[in-house]
Amino acid sequence: MSTASHLLLMALFAGCVAVVGGVLLKDTPREQARGAAEIFGSLVGAAFVLGWIIYFLPI
Amino acid sequence: MAARASSKRPARPAGPAPAAPRPAKPLALVYLLGWLIPGGGHLWLGRTKGLVFMVMLPLMFVIGLALEGRLFPFTPGEPLVALASIANIGAGLPFLIARTLGYGAGRAVAVTYEYGNAFLITAGLLNALVVIDAHDIALGRK
Repeated sequence: MSTASHLLLMALFAGCVAVVGGVLLKDTPREQARGAAEIFGSLVGAAFVLGWIIYFLPI
Repeated sequence: MAARASSKRPARPAGPAPAAPRPAKPLALVYLLGWLIPGGGHLWLGRTKGLVFMVMLPLMFVIGLALEGRLFPFTPGEPLVALASIANIGAGLPFLIARTLGYGAGRAVAVTYEYGNAFLITAGLLNALVVIDAHDIALGRK
């Protein structure tokens, strides 16, 4: 697993959480799919935004 | 006239508050089944969405082990480790099997160690949310 990509692992984690969260929070399959997509997009989007913010910080 | 008279009536008759809803199934068994088998509580209550939890949560747990994450020991002297341990226990049967078979030692120098911990801890916490959802379903709130 040492060759695993950080981006891939982050997307895999976000995907798993999104599927569980979407199914947990909504009732119909359509709503669940939409909810999962929103959670996935939020997690990955937030990671990109935070990543770019940290990139410019002098740490 | 009758309409005016009825509009003055309170919406609900005065009296004792309605009794709390009675669970369709014994709550303790719903908790136990839901914790041991992720999604098991939902399936027992007739909700097929439990199948998704039954696949996804153990999958997250196995991915966490494959990424060389650690199943933390319960050490009250180290609060963060103790919290991580409680989260690990939340995964239910996968946790018990892994602990019994000696998996989850973790390798702190592995590149994927923290990812593994994130998967393991999150699988347990999500299962706790699933059990709470099963509780609401058993009480007829959902």
